[in-house]
Amino acid sequence: MKALLSAELLKMRSTRATTLLVLATLVLAVLTIATMVPGVIEENSPISLDDPGLLAIVVGSGFGAPQVLMTLLGVLAFTQEFRYGTVTSTYLGEPRRMRVLVAKGLSLALASVVITTLTLAVTLTLSIALIRSQDGDVTVAAQFWQTVAAGFVVMAAYGVVGVAIGALVPNQIAAVVGVLIWMLAVEQMVIPLFPEVGRWMPFAAASSLMQLGPSYGFDDQLLSVPMGGLVLVGYTAAAVVLALGITPKRDVL
Amino acid sequence: MTSAIELNHLTKSFGDVLAVDDVCAVARSGQVTALLGPNGAGKTTTLRMLLGLIAPNSGTATVGGRRYVELPDPVRQVGAVLEASGYHPGRSALAHLRILATASTLPCDAPMRVLAETDLAGDARRRVGEFSLGMRQRLGLAAAMLGDPGVLVLDEPTNGLDPPGVRWLRGYVRALADEGRTVLLSSHALSEVELIADHVLVMAHGRLLRSSSLAALRAEAGVGSRVRTPDPERLGAALDAAGLSHRRTDEGVAVDATPEQVGELAALHRIVLHGLEGTADLEKAFFRLTQEPHPPVAPSMSAEGVLS
Repeated sequence: MKALLSAELLKMRSTRATTLLVLATLVLAVLTIATMVPGVIEENSPISLDDPGLLAIVVGSGFGAPQVLMTLLGVLAFTQEFRYGTVTSTYLGEPRRMRVLVAKGLSLALASVVITTLTLAVTLTLSIALIRSQDGDVTVAAQFWQTVAAGFVVMAAYGVVGVAIGALVPNQIAAVVGVLIWMLAVEQMVIPLFPEVGRWMPFAAASSLMQLGPSYGFDDQLLSVPMGGLVLVGYTAAAVVLALGITPKRDVL
Repeated sequence: MTSAIELNHLTKSFGDVLAVDDVCAVARSGQVTALLGPNGAGKTTTLRMLLGLIAPNSGTATVGGRRYVELPDPVRQVGAVLEASGYHPGRSALAHLRILATASTLPCDAPMRVLAETDLAGDARRRVGEFSLGMRQRLGLAAAMLGDPGVLVLDEPTNGLDPPGVRWLRGYVRALADEGRTVLLSSHALSEVELIADHVLVMAHGRLLRSSSLAALRAEAGVGSRVRTPDPERLGAALDAAGLSHRRTDEGVAVDATPEQVGELAALHRIVLHGLEGTADLEKAFFRLTQEPHPPVAPSMSAEGVLS
């Protein structure tokens, strides 16, 4: 498994796409923070500058774009293999396909640690600078560490789910477009419009776990932190089980 | 010679289409075995079933007695070239091979060794997207040889190669078989199979129609030879004694027998030959085999000990 994991990490590092995606995501995360902090000082904002959880909420909000990135990286880990036909040599090297799937999942989980750390470094620096410039509270309270820890879990889960989606939907365009529509349109509409249903969706569950409800203005609609975590783990497990069931049976034509 | 590859009643259908129908065959070590047939004959599906990429509906395909998925160290036992497009265009040739070597815990120097063997050492750091089709085919062979395997499976390996590339490939594959490795390759081109194969498996419409040596196929096709000799009378007498019909032509003697038969007969009678070539129209024989309706070949042992 160690060899397969190393090979998967090498695959990620040996193309420009990964670097470009990470850079683009960091830019989006910066833009999110840069537009959010000035919004906090508006009168109708659900959070205020003297909120002790402000830093946690602002930093956590910067994880929206990285969550999409991790899912896409996971999707690409498999769909690129189908697109370019490299899946053949991958399966010839390791014909036990479940091991390949597990190695890809683990490689995305490991990559998520690096990407989450990078995201944190950038967003935390920017958040502190912007909040201080508005004379806001930059207390590093327990909630901050809880949000950061949850961020690592959420990013790893999204990467693994992306791998499972890529294994289930080998067509790269269909998988990428499907993921983007779901994450950027369906969830963003359903969660605020139909909170009873929306709070069970992955993004809402991730937001519950990261305690980001106030930043979206629907704190009271979200699941509890433990329940959000359970739902997210449930989605991840379901996607992985489905992919593990289908991948070994699929013919590689 | 041992049977490295065995296909036993292999059958696969995609929906209503029967792609491979009860195929039984073997490929032996030290030989180049060609899976010959027109496009859509079921060759690629057969090879992919052998390599565990497609699950058969019934039957088994084994390498050294084991299904591919059961091989403990597949890359060191089997090398395969299945398609020229199996590369990420943004990756360098070296990176592509390093990934494969890393996944199979092969030595660090294995990628550069096989790149040198396939004349690609100078292009190791170039992106594969910049490679010609011929270079990609060679990179495919390099990948197949990474684990220095005893069995090679090549699907249409000469596709897209220019004449020097085809010649290079022929020599490379021949050398591998001469080292005692098993080579199973598919092709739709009889002309290239003639030059490279020891044994031929003819497929059409998903069925194995014939399993025989190339010499036997020539003989079955009613093949002949053209001979030039300074002593046509003695050769004629020897041919008469052997019961082989012949006639004098402007170019020498035309014999209704394979060049191997004529050559051996001439050697036996110490008759000098200045020229000996086959005149078999294998192409016609191939078309006759693949286009006429045939019952599937029964899985019985032939005179050569090859399941046919």
